[in-house]
Amino acid sequence: MKFLPLVWSGIWRKPWRTILIFLQVSVAFALFGVLQGLKTGVQQAVDAARADLLLVHSRLSSLTEGLPISLLEPIRSVPGVRVAIPVELFGGYYQKPEQGVGIVAVTPDKDWTAAFTYTIAPEYLAAFARSRTAALVKDLTAEKYGWKIGDHIPLKSNKMQKNGSGDWAFDVVGIFTDSDVGGGRYIIIINLPYYDEARATGTGTVNHFNVAVTDPKVAVSVADAIDRISSNSSHETKTESLRELAQQQVQQIGDFDFLIRAVVGAVLAALLFAIATMMVQSVRERTSELAVLKTLGFTDRAVFLLILAEAITVCIAGAALGLALATAAMPIAARFVPGLSMPKITLAIGLACAVLVALMSAAVPAALAGRLKVAAALAGR
Amino acid sequence: MSSIVSFAAVSKQYKRGRESVAVLNDFNLEIADKDFVAIMGPSGSGKTTLLNLIGGLDVPTSGSVTVAGERIDHLSPAALSHWRARHVGFIFQFYNLMPTLSAERNVEIPLLLTSLSRAERKRKVTAALELVGLSDRRKHKPSELSGGQQQRVAIARALIADPTILICDEPTGDLDRHSAEEILGLIQILNRQYGKTVVVVTHDAKAAEFATHQLHLDKGQLLDSPSRTAA
Repeated sequence: MKFLPLVWSGIWRKPWRTILIFLQVSVAFALFGVLQGLKTGVQQAVDAARADLLLVHSRLSSLTEGLPISLLEPIRSVPGVRVAIPVELFGGYYQKPEQGVGIVAVTPDKDWTAAFTYTIAPEYLAAFARSRTAALVKDLTAEKYGWKIGDHIPLKSNKMQKNGSGDWAFDVVGIFTDSDVGGGRYIIIINLPYYDEARATGTGTVNHFNVAVTDPKVAVSVADAIDRISSNSSHETKTESLRELAQQQVQQIGDFDFLIRAVVGAVLAALLFAIATMMVQSVRERTSELAVLKTLGFTDRAVFLLILAEAITVCIAGAALGLALATAAMPIAARFVPGLSMPKITLAIGLACAVLVALMSAAVPAALAGRLKVAAALAGR
Repeated sequence: MSSIVSFAAVSKQYKRGRESVAVLNDFNLEIADKDFVAIMGPSGSGKTTLLNLIGGLDVPTSGSVTVAGERIDHLSPAALSHWRARHVGFIFQFYNLMPTLSAERNVEIPLLLTSLSRAERKRKVTAALELVGLSDRRKHKPSELSGGQQQRVAIARALIADPTILICDEPTGDLDRHSAEEILGLIQILNRQYGKTVVVVTHDAKAAEFATHQLHLDKGQLLDSPSRTAA
């Protein structure tokens, strides 16, 4: 601590240069923090995706090709299947097309929520099972549109009713939350039997089946058994766990980890050269001052450590600010990219990287300063 | 009186490109303890080289250099640094203070290498600044002080670790006559009242008059044999 004034003095020898480097370090580590937060968030989302939940969809296309509801009973009879629920997904909007709503139609059979990531209070479940036009509304959806229990909500959809109308109406009977961060922000759940009877097309088919298995360890064998049911038929299925699907979604972006590592690596490498340049320049400008320190009895090692300490101080301070900014920005960014988070380990890694960058960038200038020949330096040679 | 500086058959050569330039050759010198010696001579005569060898800032090519009872010509760089911290105080022509540190912080620097507590360091800094008459300028940065005041801070810094010998390289070369005489008077007090051995390199004959002995160097040789032993 007693050397702090000397370190501080060296840092502020050229204030503007120090401020610019400090800002450069801050921006680099803010980016580091956001990207690492994104990576962590995505990984957490994948890890949080339930491995015991299977989605059975058409092998041809999970979006456009439906499956017959008649597959439900054969699926339920596969050993290891705990709950199987047919699910139909379609889109609609509230009042104007920009106010989209995802509509999930399910059969409210016994324990149906076991095949989903939703958390719904028992009284809401009971109300939902009682009314054909009932709707359960996700908390974010209710918040966005100001819906509350008892509301009668009119929605428009391109899925027509048998009477030719695209207008649908549901009664809000409960609010729910969803632990699946990739599960859609604005959704409601409705009764599939009611929807299936009313719709003009696609009756008797669903997008997919949600299946909960008795044990995640048997998920693969159950998936294979389910797919064998309809093999060589016109509606072959492909069964995947929710975790696999989450992993696939991440992989669609490309090699996500590599991408993040490459960007962070490039930023840190650029920072390393910038700080090294600053330190070389700083040491060169302070040749006579460093020579005086050695004259007063500072050893080569002490001068070496002094220069390293300057670089470490600037880097740690800059990184701390950058990571603090990234942490502060995380809740805002999480509104657009669900699951974003900044775990403490990322902060620790960031600060460790800052020390590493400082050590690597200042090692050569510090060694030059340490080896300074006092007599020659004082003579200006 | 015993010698505090002893040079025996000292040679110092520098490499300039492919050439080797001999600055000192078979040089012998004795300086007595508590003496005040002025070294004079034209540029290139070897004054600064001599000063650097006495102060352990450079090592001879051959020969032995004994200062403050220790042979310093074969010490390792680290050992030489420790030796300098214990025995030598330096005063330079251009003060060489740390521009972003206050006067008291500048004076404190040599004490950072000791195990003294913060309170002890502060007490010593206060005493040193009082001695050079700058108690009221302790918080000022070098740029806020005159040349004479800056040199006083440098003297306080040189004194703070209670060195055996004070080495001054043109200490008044950047000062007006009045300030120069004040500084030399102060150095004289340090020699006479505090018993510090002082070696001053100067071009200024008036400055040299403050010393008790004068050595004249030319082309690496002492000119006037009576002054060869300055005691």
